[in-house]
Amino acid sequence: MNRISASPMQETPLLLIVEDSNEDFEALQRFLGRSTIAIAIQRCVSGEQALAFLYRTGNYVERHAPRPGLIVLDLNLPGTDGREVLRRIKQDDNLKMIPVVVFTTSNNPKDIEVCYQYGVNSYIVKPINFVQLKRDIQMLVEYWFEVTTLPYPQD
Amino acid sequence: MTDEIIDLTNCDREPIHIPSLIQPHGVLLVLQDPNLEIVQVSSNTQEVVGRQPEELLGKRLLDLLDAKQMKLIQKCLAEDFDSVNPLNLSIKHQNKLIDFDGIVHRFNTTIILELEPKKAKGQTGFFDFYQQVRGTITRIQKAPTLLEMCQIVVTEVRRITGFERVMVYRFDTDGAGSVIAEDTNQETPYLDLHYPPSDIPKQARQLYTLNWLRLIPDANYQPVTLIPANNPLTNQPLDLSLSVLRSVSPLHLEYLQNMGVTASMSISLIQDQKLWGLIACHDSSPKYVPYNIRTMCEFIGQVMSVELANKEATEDIDYKRQLKSLQTQFVEGLSQAEYFLDGMVQLKSQLLNLVNATGAVICSGDQCIRVGKTPSEAEVHALLDWIKPQLHHNLFETRSLSKNYPAAESYKAIASGVLALEISKVHHNYILWFRPEVIQTVKWGGNPNKPVEVFSDGSLRMSPRKSFQLWQETVQGSALPWKPCEVEAVTELRSLVVGVVLRQADKLASMNFELQRSNEELDSFAYVASHDLKEPLRGIHNYANFLMEDYADVLDNDGIGKLQTLVRLTQRMEDLINSLLHFSRLGRAELIRQPVNLNELVQQVITTLTIARPQSEVEFRIPQPLESVECDRAQINELFTNLISNAIKYNDKPDKWVEIGFIKGNGQRKVASTSLIFYVRDNGIGISQEHLDKIFQIFRRLHGRDEFGGGTGVGLTIARKIVERHGGRIWVESTPTQGSTFYFTLSAEANT
Repeated sequence: MNRISASPMQETPLLLIVEDSNEDFEALQRFLGRSTIAIAIQRCVSGEQALAFLYRTGNYVERHAPRPGLIVLDLNLPGTDGREVLRRIKQDDNLKMIPVVVFTTSNNPKDIEVCYQYGVNSYIVKPINFVQLKRDIQMLVEYWFEVTTLPYPQD
Repeated sequence: MTDEIIDLTNCDREPIHIPSLIQPHGVLLVLQDPNLEIVQVSSNTQEVVGRQPEELLGKRLLDLLDAKQMKLIQKCLAEDFDSVNPLNLSIKHQNKLIDFDGIVHRFNTTIILELEPKKAKGQTGFFDFYQQVRGTITRIQKAPTLLEMCQIVVTEVRRITGFERVMVYRFDTDGAGSVIAEDTNQETPYLDLHYPPSDIPKQARQLYTLNWLRLIPDANYQPVTLIPANNPLTNQPLDLSLSVLRSVSPLHLEYLQNMGVTASMSISLIQDQKLWGLIACHDSSPKYVPYNIRTMCEFIGQVMSVELANKEATEDIDYKRQLKSLQTQFVEGLSQAEYFLDGMVQLKSQLLNLVNATGAVICSGDQCIRVGKTPSEAEVHALLDWIKPQLHHNLFETRSLSKNYPAAESYKAIASGVLALEISKVHHNYILWFRPEVIQTVKWGGNPNKPVEVFSDGSLRMSPRKSFQLWQETVQGSALPWKPCEVEAVTELRSLVVGVVLRQADKLASMNFELQRSNEELDSFAYVASHDLKEPLRGIHNYANFLMEDYADVLDNDGIGKLQTLVRLTQRMEDLINSLLHFSRLGRAELIRQPVNLNELVQQVITTLTIARPQSEVEFRIPQPLESVECDRAQINELFTNLISNAIKYNDKPDKWVEIGFIKGNGQRKVASTSLIFYVRDNGIGISQEHLDKIFQIFRRLHGRDEFGGGTGVGLTIARKIVERHGGRIWVESTPTQGSTFYFTLSAEANT
């Protein structure tokens, strides 16, 4: 009996990265680019922009933005911050199935607790160490895009 | 003899309002509604109205009086009988008309009519009455002081009534009386004599407040019985509380006889519904005072009662004015004071002057400030504990403390009088004032200690005093009494101070609130700062690495070396930021105290440290197993980790050892397990004496960054914080090159 794969051949789902720091984004991009999996990345630099992208409002009305398969979310964002973006996503019946990985500098226990209460799927503290950062990002990609089966994008 | 047999209250228990007897100078009729049928009479009707009691009983009053007089009585009953008594009544007897003063009153359901034969001819109308008393009333009102008013009253009453002796008695708070004014033609003055409270028993005082006036025309009278003996309407003895003819207690008569008094009249002086004193009239021979004269005297008594408050208000007027000005100073002083104690301390002399005291103590929390002459602080604390349950409306006052509080005997010379004010029970704010003992001579009208008579059957009876000889007593352990205006000044002071104390409490609360808020802000600041510092730091770190990765071929070794230094520095910086954040968290995180087995904990720490540094050979010595202690497990773990890892780190000996143990605090007494002094000892490099106190300072390092494995210099600061949060203390003893011992305790009690 052939094992039927749960996810048939298809494109890798979109990765939404919500990150305001260009330097941090560049580092992310750098290590993601070294991955063996080709991942389409959408970057938003603020909470507002991320929500507009997810709800297809504002700049994203016409463009029929695709649903991301995974969201990597920084917590400290200008304006609507990551905690609020996370809360909105996890309260929305359509969006809540998208896994969210918080990727932040904060190791404040309060932040960690709040994020898990909102339903975050993973919480990673950004390391300073270059080697560790590289490893963390590699593992993130491998885990979510290879080990895990992500939900089908729903429109 | 046992104590309980000597019953000093037998006078207090005599039911003097229901003697079932009257005095013989009139008749008493009990009438029943609606026809005013006579149901009970005094047995002397034949002598007074010329009818046998049996002739009257069961008859209607109409049979005795004519219809016109009946109407008068009916009208009187319908109105307020106070304003209509006495009624002019006359009864025909053997074709002669006898005139009476009729005094009618209703008590509960019973109507009582008392008839006193008019001795004098003619009637006194309102106008005569007015003329007679007008001058007296004016003089009473114009009297400048209380004592002068009393003098006017005794003179006037004696003029109106013709008694040999008229006095004003004043009762003090204990009920003892003293003669404060007298007008007499007798040789022996009674002025200034004191009488003990037992001279006028409780229930007599009660009747004095019900009835403004009592007359005993002849203390040698034969009491007249009532027929029938009980009131047939109630089947109880007739209540004679309001009767003017009521027979008085034999004890009272005996008292009067002992005093040489045959006729007596007393008028109540009442202030605030309480018996303030009496106008007492005495005569050595029988003396009947007609009802209208009595009414006049009663009226004088009532006017005087009203005037009492006015006269007391004007008494000590200068002193009161002085008190008011002192109060103003308090208002000014205290309203500027931040704290209750500060304000009070600045007003030391005013505090004493306010109540004319010689010493005062201001208590706030555990602090006590003593002003002037006071008992010792320990004595004050004990006294305050004794006073607290006895405070009444936040006040306690006594002029003879040692009488009720024997412990005060030793300091009665400075504190016989005590006035205590409770400002706040919650904040433990009290003010106490003291007055010294003033030895006084009190003149008593006879020995105030009543003689006890022993009867043949062994029972005891308090007899009325027999001797009225001047009896002098030296009173010790008493201070001058606190004047009502002084007590009032203190009461007013309280509301003022309460304001200050409340403001102080409010301020403290808002300071706490602010502190909490700034703590929270500081907390989030630490996170934000660490985040915002770390982000660029991470950028520098990453970009240095990018450079090394991307431009390795164009960079020489020197360039790569510099970038590596850059990377190392960013890592150091991160360590510092993390340490700082950790340290700031440590002061705020809640301590979770629970029993922690330190032996296991230390073993775990050692295991963890050994795993982390497998290369270093260290001998761990634990001379005796550590005990369980109430503490925060995570923090104590960190504490031991810091100390033990330091002990390992700062050691250059070939054979390294670390000893972890404890010393019993003080050794002698049985102590709780928290009273232990723990120590971590090593044979390491030691610390020179001059640096011993610096090593706990934050970021203070004694060695080069990379010597002894490096470190941020925050470990011992954290260790001290943990110890201090547990209420303990940490210190170090060290000999350079020999080794160091870090001692710490985890509770305050171990420090002593």
